[in-house]
Amino acid sequence: MNMIKLFVLAIFIILAFLATGCSTTVPVTMKFPESPGIVVMTPCPQLEKVQDDAKLSDITKTITVNYGTYYECAVKNDAWIEWYQKQKIIFEGVK
Amino acid sequence: MWMLQWLPNWIFYAVLIAGVFGLVVSYLIRFLSFIPFLYIYKTPIQIGSMIAIAIGTFMSGAIYDNDAWEARVKEMQEKVAAAEVQSKEENVKIVEKVVTKTQVIKTRGQDIVKYVDREVVKYDTKFAPGGECEIPKEFIKAINDAAEPPK
Repeated sequence: MNMIKLFVLAIFIILAFLATGCSTTVPVTMKFPESPGIVVMTPCPQLEKVQDDAKLSDITKTITVNYGTYYECAVKNDAWIEWYQKQKIIFEGVK
Repeated sequence: MWMLQWLPNWIFYAVLIAGVFGLVVSYLIRFLSFIPFLYIYKTPIQIGSMIAIAIGTFMSGAIYDNDAWEARVKEMQEKVAAAEVQSKEENVKIVEKVVTKTQVIKTRGQDIVKYVDREVVKYDTKFAPGGECEIPKEFIKAINDAAEPPK
């Protein structure tokens, strides 16, 4: 009977030893990087269209506005590419 | 390690010292003849001391390991905090770049529209419907089709 008690005690001590290594919390977490902001978060607008009876100057203005819209959208796209590349470098630097 | 969070470190060092002390005493017990009943507890004292030494040694190592990990965690927390600051700084730079470029594009567009209103408008009558060089409907259709977003 004493041997059984001793065995149970030994098992309890071994389990207590092993349990000391248990941890339930992650000590360090890195948050997902924030976006640059509303400036680049707004979706690209649709391009303007030309009326059927448009004058030459109206057509030229519409094309000009559409080029501008494209380049504004391209700037946002480039900003996101740059954002990703910078954040990747920063993230990989945390080791 | 949760056990180290519950109990202070000195307890485990005390257990180790007590174990060593008990083991030494158990071997010197024969010289302690002035306490006659102590000799019968020699074996239990030795077993208890061995267990105390084992626990104390293990936990001393655990404390050392825990301290090393805590230092590493602190270092990582500092790095993460620095990275978050750097990330925000980069975001500010990116936003500044976007705002500047967008402003340039808008200004350029406005300048071109002014140019159109000043120079191109002169040809409106020439290219008006029924005029000398009427703009074909196919031309307008092609422009509008190109402006159509993908579905």
